[in-house]
Amino acid sequence: MSLTSLLRGAALLTAGLLLSTPLLAAARTIDGAYGSVELSGTPQRVVALGENALDAALSLGIQPLGSLASRGGSDVPHYLKAKAGTITLVGSVREPNLEAILALQPDLILASGDLPNDLYAKLSLMAPTVVPKGGTFQDWRQTYSTYALALNQSEQAEQRIAEIDTRIAALRERMPQDQQVSVVRWNPQGPFIMSSHLFVGQLLQTLGLKANELAAAQQRKPHSDIISLENLAKVDADWIFLATLNPDGRKALDDARQQPAFTRLKAVENDRVISVDGQIWSSSSGYLAAQHILDDVEKALAR
Amino acid sequence: MPSRLSLPRALGLAALCLLALILASLLLGAGDVGLWASLQALLGHADDEARFVVLQLRWARTELALLVGLALGGAGVLLQAVTRNPLAEPGLLGVSAGASFAVVLAINLGASAASLHLGVATLGALLGCTLVLLVTQMRGVGEDPVRLVLAGAAFSGLLGALSSLLLLWDQRTADEMRFWIIGALAGRPLDTLSWSLPGLLLGLAVALPLIRPLAALALGERVASGLGHHPQLTRLGTLLAVALLVGTATAAAGPIGFIGLIVPYIARRLVGSDIRRTLGLSLLLGPCVLLFADTLSRLLVRPYELPVGVITAFVGAPILIAVIRGHRLPTL
Amino acid sequence: MPRISPPLTAHCVLRLGDYSLLLHRRSSTVALFLCLALLLSSAWILAFGANGLTPWAALRAAFGQGEPMQLLLIRELRVPRLLSGLFSGAALGAAGCLLQTLARNRLATPGVIGIDNGATAFAVASIVAVPTSLAPSALALSGAATAAVLTFALAAGGGARGYRFIVVGIAIGALFGAATNLMLARADIDAANAAYPWTVGSLNARPSQAVWLLGGGLLLGLPAAKLLVRALSLMRFSDSVAIGLGVRLRLMRVLSLLLCVWLTALAVAVAGPVGLIALVAPEMARHLCARHGVPVLNAALCGALLMILADWLGRHLLAPIEIPVGIITAIVGAPYLLWILLRQSSRSSP
Repeated sequence: MSLTSLLRGAALLTAGLLLSTPLLAAARTIDGAYGSVELSGTPQRVVALGENALDAALSLGIQPLGSLASRGGSDVPHYLKAKAGTITLVGSVREPNLEAILALQPDLILASGDLPNDLYAKLSLMAPTVVPKGGTFQDWRQTYSTYALALNQSEQAEQRIAEIDTRIAALRERMPQDQQVSVVRWNPQGPFIMSSHLFVGQLLQTLGLKANELAAAQQRKPHSDIISLENLAKVDADWIFLATLNPDGRKALDDARQQPAFTRLKAVENDRVISVDGQIWSSSSGYLAAQHILDDVEKALAR
Repeated sequence: MPSRLSLPRALGLAALCLLALILASLLLGAGDVGLWASLQALLGHADDEARFVVLQLRWARTELALLVGLALGGAGVLLQAVTRNPLAEPGLLGVSAGASFAVVLAINLGASAASLHLGVATLGALLGCTLVLLVTQMRGVGEDPVRLVLAGAAFSGLLGALSSLLLLWDQRTADEMRFWIIGALAGRPLDTLSWSLPGLLLGLAVALPLIRPLAALALGERVASGLGHHPQLTRLGTLLAVALLVGTATAAAGPIGFIGLIVPYIARRLVGSDIRRTLGLSLLLGPCVLLFADTLSRLLVRPYELPVGVITAFVGAPILIAVIRGHRLPTL
Repeated sequence: MPRISPPLTAHCVLRLGDYSLLLHRRSSTVALFLCLALLLSSAWILAFGANGLTPWAALRAAFGQGEPMQLLLIRELRVPRLLSGLFSGAALGAAGCLLQTLARNRLATPGVIGIDNGATAFAVASIVAVPTSLAPSALALSGAATAAVLTFALAAGGGARGYRFIVVGIAIGALFGAATNLMLARADIDAANAAYPWTVGSLNARPSQAVWLLGGGLLLGLPAAKLLVRALSLMRFSDSVAIGLGVRLRLMRVLSLLLCVWLTALAVAVAGPVGLIALVAPEMARHLCARHGVPVLNAALCGALLMILADWLGRHLLAPIEIPVGIITAIVGAPYLLWILLRQSSRSSP
């Protein structure tokens, strides 16, 4: 809590400074994963590689020219689709199409934290390329603020983050007390549990929900290894969010229900399993994703 | 070859091994239900949890291992006999690639991997084998074992690439396939066994009358013809049996490599290269190897599990190297 | 050194001072034709991408003339990609040719003996398992070398040909393949996606150091391969014939194998496992040359041609989604291989 308030203070201070000196307002240095990037002015032609960058840009009212087909399919993530409109696809997450990106003549490229070095080398020749530090375990506000700073929208980003904080504070009052939750992905060979230190876990904890022990123990990997059905009880909690990359979470739930080991879980017996969109729940981060997750939680848990 | 065992002795030894491994598979696991509790559960007096783990989870898994091991062991021997090539592996004929491709296609069209209709993968395996069969029927290519295997490899490559292409299109499927592509016995739906048993039985039924012609074929085309067997028909039938067996195994557990390569090796070392002797032994050895690998997969990284396909590769490859180093490769 | 006298009509002699070179007519024609095809397709690929350029503008941009946009497009994107395709294709083609001849088995590609899988496993490990600062391509290089050394060491005594070498190679390859699959299944999806190009083979944004290293390696490797070819083509018949003709079998085998590993390792460090090039290019060269020699240079040319064409196809078929070159080579290459197999059904394998 202290860290976030400190950060917020620092950001507010920066925002204040920026406002008071309009000439300097545009010039800024961003400390990225591959070194610092100098930027000036408000970028007009943005290419957002990856859903987190796209989420940040769209939530800040910036319409990127291009983005990648997400891991969920052959288009941008469907929860961003409506806002993104007719956006040009410039390749897939696995293989960004460099020539297609160049053809858009970007003046800013926002990439995800795990952009390979070789791609960064090429992209940064085309336009300033911002790769946030810290990967998936980073506080999501920080990643979001980095994108916002690059877009010259730091002030608005503060507002967005504050909106989330307000909503969380309000929602927290309506949450049941002392409840434990776990986020599980069901795969053909068995489930794994998502680390509680990722974006979703960060949100759930600020809501006052406790993490499952196994999820809390995943401090370096985004999720555990596949859990043996004999040990399935270890993913049990008061509430289980069952995620799949398929937007239709029902199917994963149906699969899981075919396993007697799954139906023996406390949460399943109490009918407290909620199927959710794994695209948002297991890999996204950002303002729009946060609103989605809070919607899901509110629908399921809030009194 | 070193001292060979007589067939009944080898069979007895393998059967004993199999029993021991079945017991081990029931008693050992990745969970908290230990050896003693498992034994109690087997004898009928233990708590509910232990009984559930041993009698439901481990038992279902052991049954599946028996089935898949049987299919892969048998398929390996048949395939090596018919191609007369000790390198021949079900994967090389395009059978595994066919099955994988069918699964990718099925998931792509909307079926989720776990609830996959097992018939789809079997059909894919059949398709893979049919394509190879077509090739073998063309202008005498079938008489050359090297070329036959090479054609299979080309098909495998083609189907594998088509799978990758589909996965490129649909990354949700790709993410599911990441787990399916390493075969495993864990987490299979309960009805897997009842679906795949007919496939196994059918495959074995097709193979049974072919043992004699195959043994004759090992002595050469002319000898086989002279003894009144039809070489081409024999090949066709055997490949059909292989497709059925491998298709069933792949559908049930995903692609598990190396069993079809390792089992015939061990069998040949024990009782010589005559298929009339190796086939029966392999049907026992296949489940042995798979059960051993599966039990190991639960113990190595407790409380997690390794996919058994990884274990079979890690157990199989060194054995294969040891065998090839210790002996000149027998000509088939 | 004894001479075998070939039918003179099929050959011509090239004299340069004291040196003379016996050229096989058909292979020389084929080589010339392939070079021409390479030049034309390179020009085509440089000019006609998603952003249309005239060949002239592309050529000017390649030499530093033109507007910044074009310069960036040609010099930073297309030329490096073209070079990495040309180099890796040539290296894989030559390596495949060497190994197939050596092992007297068309199945014996670098992929079959585990080099591809070794490179993939190490590269994937550097991305998903141990996120080090080491570049994936450096690790791919060491992975290929590790797999080759393991295969050599474990097959020791069995010679470089025959089944033992291949079987050991298959085993090593399977080990690395299983390790790769395991790592991918344990990795989170983002890391798995980042590792993807290394599992299928791709030419998208390859590290330039690796490309230059490969270029240098080819410069040394191809002439060496050409020198080894005579010995190799004699060894094709049988050991006794080769010994009778004065070939030092053991030395030649070791040298050819080392060369093959050298070329493959450098190529997969750039492009990842594009195994089918090594399988198809020699077949294509043999088919074009229509003789039972060891067309190592033509195989290299075929490999380069196949690689750049496949990459071009992959970039444009589903644009803007790129299909990695490894998938294209497999889809195009496998049927071609089958066709070759069926066509020369009655001939013996090399």
